[in-house]
Amino acid sequence: MTDFSRRQFLKYVGASTLSTLAATLTFDDLANAATATPLAPGTPILVLVTLYGGNDGLNTVVPYLDPVYQSSRPGISLSGADVLPLADGLALNATMTGFKSLWDQHKLAIVLGTSYPQPSYSHFTSMAIWQTASPVEPTTSGWIGRWLDLQAHNPFTAIGIGDVLTPLLAGNKRVGSVLPLYGLDVPGYSYGERARMLGLSSPRDTRLTATAAQSIGDLFSLASTVGPVLATAPPSGASDLAQQLDVVANLIAANVPTLVYSVTIDGFDTHADELSAQSSLVGSVSDAVTAFLAQVGATPRANDVVVMAYSEFGRRVEANDSQGTDHGTAAPLFVAGNRVAGGFYGEQPSLTSLVDGDLAVTTDFRDVYASMLADVLGADPLQIMPGWTSKLNLITTG
Amino acid sequence: MTNADRLEIARLVHRFGFGPRPGEYLALVHGGVAHARREVLRSDRDAALAKVADPHITDLGPAPSDPAASNAYWQSVWDQYMVLATWWLDRMVLADHPLVERMTWFWHGHWATSIGKVGFALPMKIQNQTLRQRALGNFSDMAREMILDGALIYWLDGEVNVVGAPNENLGREFMELFTLGVGNFTEDDVKAAARGLTGYRVVETSGRVSFESARHDHSPVRLLGTTRSFDASSLSDFVVAHDATATHITNRLWFRFVSTTVPPPRRLVKTFAKRNIVSLVHAIATDPAVRRPGLSQVKSPVEWFVSACRALRVTPSRLDSGDLHWLLGQMGQFPFDPPSVGGWPFDEAWLTASSAQYRFSLADVLVHHGNVTPLGTTASTMVQAAADWLGVAQWSERTARSLRAAVSDPRQLATLAICAPEFVVSV
Repeated sequence: MTDFSRRQFLKYVGASTLSTLAATLTFDDLANAATATPLAPGTPILVLVTLYGGNDGLNTVVPYLDPVYQSSRPGISLSGADVLPLADGLALNATMTGFKSLWDQHKLAIVLGTSYPQPSYSHFTSMAIWQTASPVEPTTSGWIGRWLDLQAHNPFTAIGIGDVLTPLLAGNKRVGSVLPLYGLDVPGYSYGERARMLGLSSPRDTRLTATAAQSIGDLFSLASTVGPVLATAPPSGASDLAQQLDVVANLIAANVPTLVYSVTIDGFDTHADELSAQSSLVGSVSDAVTAFLAQVGATPRANDVVVMAYSEFGRRVEANDSQGTDHGTAAPLFVAGNRVAGGFYGEQPSLTSLVDGDLAVTTDFRDVYASMLADVLGADPLQIMPGWTSKLNLITTG
Repeated sequence: MTNADRLEIARLVHRFGFGPRPGEYLALVHGGVAHARREVLRSDRDAALAKVADPHITDLGPAPSDPAASNAYWQSVWDQYMVLATWWLDRMVLADHPLVERMTWFWHGHWATSIGKVGFALPMKIQNQTLRQRALGNFSDMAREMILDGALIYWLDGEVNVVGAPNENLGREFMELFTLGVGNFTEDDVKAAARGLTGYRVVETSGRVSFESARHDHSPVRLLGTTRSFDASSLSDFVVAHDATATHITNRLWFRFVSTTVPPPRRLVKTFAKRNIVSLVHAIATDPAVRRPGLSQVKSPVEWFVSACRALRVTPSRLDSGDLHWLLGQMGQFPFDPPSVGGWPFDEAWLTASSAQYRFSLADVLVHHGNVTPLGTTASTMVQAAADWLGVAQWSERTARSLRAAVSDPRQLATLAICAPEFVVSV
């Protein structure tokens, strides 16, 4: 989307939609029509950040003192001024100053060596495994989707920012909602009433026509609640991820009754010329999440919000000769927030005792999910991940 | 004419084509299912497409270093992209026999390559012509040409894959997504394929591919149990001949044309034994599942847009390309810009409140520019006329109620009808 065409679009909205449709409901109309109940104070909120492409864990949480790290990655290894030392020979990429300050305040948990048994090197298979939390049996339902299946239908319960549904929000019975960065606007007046009728269910519906109708119904109910929020505070931020999180912060501040938010960033598939691209990407994740927590920190919900950031896999120990890295396995995962018990969890995989040439998996991501489900959402992880009984304790309780 | 026949013909015309133009659906219904299937599967010379002028896409060469010339250069890069994209959308909308464009669109999603990384329209156009030329031909020929396609090689880092320093991206995705399917090869096969694909260079702005023997790994590798040396062509032939490729391609076509929830019948893969795409497509179109109730599929945003344009007789290149790019982009799909090498999502992923909003906006633009006379002027027949016009087997009571409320305003009725669940979904 260039500025050029966005300007044209705005011109179009002014000149065409508003005139030919007679009118669009004003945000005030919608606010008055809103019937949603505000989120009760103190309700925990989970924010999931998905990093698409396979983030290079070794250039994010850097084993900078390990000579094997330095020798394996000529030209793309980090040391000296390019790292922010934490502890145990590990350092953050120097672009991640925000995460360093969260770490210093004990609000950042870094779960080392995270993956699942026999990791897949396929972007699609591995991301599907992370989003469904089902490494062995392929399944189509996302882990938050299965949690949604246990809740009453409410288009607000889980919201993804973007244009298409992130699979983790799709359950067997219920799906989360998708909110575009620039908010929702609905047709008005008699035309709006007829459009709204298309959102009703019908006995003749198939599974998909029922979902199509539901999406129209959700459009009207979401627009009436989030429309006013976004109208008063359009998204701001240095990166697309920062803008997505800015929208989330505004919705949280407006007491929108949403318990799970999903935001995404892509571009991590750094097979070539990795150094500046990957550093800049993890820097923007760090900046965006830190700014988001600061924004929420200024509201009464400061202690309610937990952010988890993950990618589908890490990358090889050795660089390839295109100054990049190919698909790997285990990588660090981040959990941040006021209630997070900061520090390292799990074990940093050895750079020499490799499994099939790649980093060993020292933490199963389902232990992290179990903590998010049990300690943030107050759910029973067994109902969402059958048979999974272990859990990390990433959240301070009480 | 039974409702089952109406349903089957609606599926044929929406899934193997891009939906009916005014009058076509009723004519097909009157001719019966067998006739409709023959019509939908026609791929003979297309008189309407012969009149669509070839887009003027040129090699723009490297970006100028002079900042004063830079803006004009990048504007041309963007303009060529829009010209190429609207040219293709025009072809989908204007085709008399849309099967070839429909299959080209399927293959674009299969060999998903994005201009977001490739950067220039010319390599994307060359790839698009290859996919069109081979759309119903032999898959071995298509794969051999695609693995030497400049846009694809550049997209998957084949450009930097050289002897002694293999880059696995192209080889992995070639086997996982384009041919064998996940689970049918090992990590060692990925490393072997990468070595076999070394040594190809791409000129970014033109997509021209050259082979540099000195950058190629000539030594034998062990791939899928066989040890020998490969180049791109021989590697493609070898992998495509593998049984898993037949199963994977059969599954992909079934998944996009019939159902994402019900697997294809086992016999179907046999029709692809010789890698003949047209045989497989005919077998799928003739399968009893096309008639079975319940196997709905969601039209992707481009498929929905093109079917609305065909009904309304709107030519996409005459719309403002900035509006079009923004609205389809907000719905999540624009030609030549898939989100990843895995292609676009399907079914429920398109059915969000967000896409519903932009669908209403785009429907408004299309009806504003379109022709709604097929609805007639008689209030009592207008709702049924809308179903016959758009190729909808039957409206739900919900939609019929909404449309009946709008009969005094045919344009509004048309906007509602193309946003109705029964037109957004191929029921």
